Amino acid sequence: MNNAARTLRQALTIARRDFIATVFTPIFLLFLFAPVIMGSFGAVGGMGAASVADGRADKARIVAIVPDAAARTIAEADTRLRAVFRRDEEAPPALVTLRPAGDPAAQARAAFSAKDYDASAVLYGPLERPQVLYGPRGRRAADYLGLLAADTLAAGRLDGALPRVTAVQTAMAGSAAEGDNRRQSASFAVFGVFLLNLFLASQVVGTMAEERNNKVIEVLAAAVPLESVFLGKLLGMFGVAILFVCFWGTIIAQLGMLLPPQVASALAIQAAVGMPAFVALFVTYFTMAYLLLGSAFLVVGAQASTPREIQMLALPISILQMGMLALALAGTARPDSWLAVLAQMFPLSSPFAMAGRAATSPTLWPHVAAIAWQLLWVTIFITLGARLFRRGVLQSGSARPFWKRGRRADIPN
Amino acid sequence: MVTSNEAAVFAEHLVKRFGERRVVDGVDLSVPRGAIYGVLGPNGAGKTTTLRTVLGIIEPDEGRRSVLGHFSPREASDRVGYLPEERGLYPSMKARDAIAFMGALRGLDRRTGRARAAEMMEAAGLGHAVDAKIKTLSKGMAQLVQLLGSIVHRPDLLVLDEPFSGLDPVNQEKLEALILAERDRGATVLFSTHIMAHAERVCDRLAIIAGGKRRFEGTVDAARGTLPSRVRYLPTRPDPAIAAILPHDARPDGSVGDGWRFQLPDEGIEGLLVTLIDRGYGIAGLSIERPSLHDAFVRIVGRDAAGEQDA
Repeated sequence: MNNAARTLRQALTIARRDFIATVFTPIFLLFLFAPVIMGSFGAVGGMGAASVADGRADKARIVAIVPDAAARTIAEADTRLRAVFRRDEEAPPALVTLRPAGDPAAQARAAFSAKDYDASAVLYGPLERPQVLYGPRGRRAADYLGLLAADTLAAGRLDGALPRVTAVQTAMAGSAAEGDNRRQSASFAVFGVFLLNLFLASQVVGTMAEERNNKVIEVLAAAVPLESVFLGKLLGMFGVAILFVCFWGTIIAQLGMLLPPQVASALAIQAAVGMPAFVALFVTYFTMAYLLLGSAFLVVGAQASTPREIQMLALPISILQMGMLALALAGTARPDSWLAVLAQMFPLSSPFAMAGRAATSPTLWPHVAAIAWQLLWVTIFITLGARLFRRGVLQSGSARPFWKRGRRADIPN
Repeated sequence: MVTSNEAAVFAEHLVKRFGERRVVDGVDLSVPRGAIYGVLGPNGAGKTTTLRTVLGIIEPDEGRRSVLGHFSPREASDRVGYLPEERGLYPSMKARDAIAFMGALRGLDRRTGRARAAEMMEAAGLGHAVDAKIKTLSKGMAQLVQLLGSIVHRPDLLVLDEPFSGLDPVNQEKLEALILAERDRGATVLFSTHIMAHAERVCDRLAIIAGGKRRFEGTVDAARGTLPSRVRYLPTRPDPAIAAILPHDARPDGSVGDGWRFQLPDEGIEGLLVTLIDRGYGIAGLSIERPSLHDAFVRIVGRDAAGEQDA
């Protein structure tokens, strides 16, 4: 058996042990269903907030104090203008018209105290020079009332013969809109790879602690090169990550099939390299990001000798991941800038940035180069980690991480 | 000295430094194939580091070594079994799986490993614990499981670091039997210990290490031979004048009444006995005591170092 085959066999033996030890435990179910728990809390919170918002929105009104003659015209103008708003939450509150009575200004002020509705803005006075009062967060409603006044006045002057124009609308392919869609897809790719790794790759950080605490590490190190141990640990946890992704990917895909066609097409990803290549590259970059960040975390985590030290590593790890996300997103926003090149070249941000590039650029060869580059860094991290571990941990006496070396001599046996 | 090709383990001028300290300081080893070889030394002598360096767990700073004819120990790792000084198993693993896992690390397929594990546990009196989790086993049982894990792949070389420590006398006896069985199977056994009795009973050859240096290499008899035998003699009638006939180092031995103790003369004891009988002192008691390995060890490493390890 040659060295590569032996290394792989040994790494897979360790990976298999780690995978089984992780998956066949009750704690893993908690991990697997963590998104449900997180989603449930989010849904409960969201429903509560929505219910409060809906209750407030149901009572909100814009008020126009206009003569009877103008009331119908302003209502028609409201119907016309309201049609351009895409969603209910963007539209101004429903319109209420009141007949002028006494002092219009006092009537307008009194409208804010009405018990039947909550006035956002109130229009009164002649339509040529309307006065609008508005309450907190009623500025846009006040603008809308101004537009209604102008439209109503125009319709009145044309004696109800306001011209009706219906434009012929045609969607353009390869336009700036498609570019926007691709940039959106690129951001999705970056976020997708980032989020998956945020939850999964950081779990690798404490895996060597088990061997150190159980003192199994010397048994492994005697039988297997440390590089195989590191690779095996990485592959074992990657298997766990893949199981997690497949489980939730299947569920999300099934839920996606239930979406209405127009919603599904609005969510559809447009990738410059084409969908099959994009999916393949997304999976590849998820793998590479996992291996890169995982190996980096594994190396650092292997130096930690106590659970407390491992916990202390959580913050710098999160900051590092956020930094890589920011760099990759900045590069995605300006695909031709030096920042984009930097994000694609820097090893830890490269998978994110290149996943984004797959959405915006059709050229494939940079992906081949990037994957080779990222694999090289995975190898460097694992090799470096194994050496640091061998020097710092496998000597007799107290094992010390590299940041504590040099303070005192080792105590060998 | 056996050459690197003939020896199961060969080390030449091994040096390993930790900081400024030379923990292994020019150690030479030559372990013949098929032998049981002991590495003895007081605590901190460098035994564990020597074994780790030989096996390639850590790299030497100077010198060279070969394992089963390979100058890169990794190339022979599938033919080596190793029990480290610090025992370690995964607590949630079943005993049988733990043994099979250790075999799998050395290239044994999992199914064979599991089958052999069950057989070996049965033979070792652990048949009831085949499917027990490691965390439920006693320390001695777990240690035995780990030992079985180190031989499940039937290695050509078995390296055991302080294998007897932490075992009760019954399990120590079992372990001795197992070491002898491995030798009978054709394996070479290299183990470190500071318990002289075990080394004395099972070792074909041994090396004594102190202060990182090899102080002795040879058979157990040769080690004992570094000290002369001692004679205990009890005359038939007490007489202080007998001292003039006995060797100069003779001292009264209170433990046997009016007896005497002295080193066995280089020329033998027969001439002295004839003289004593001729002078009428007779022989009421006589014993010749060979020095123990412990005595030889104390002499070789120095009383201070030996005292430290005895403590």
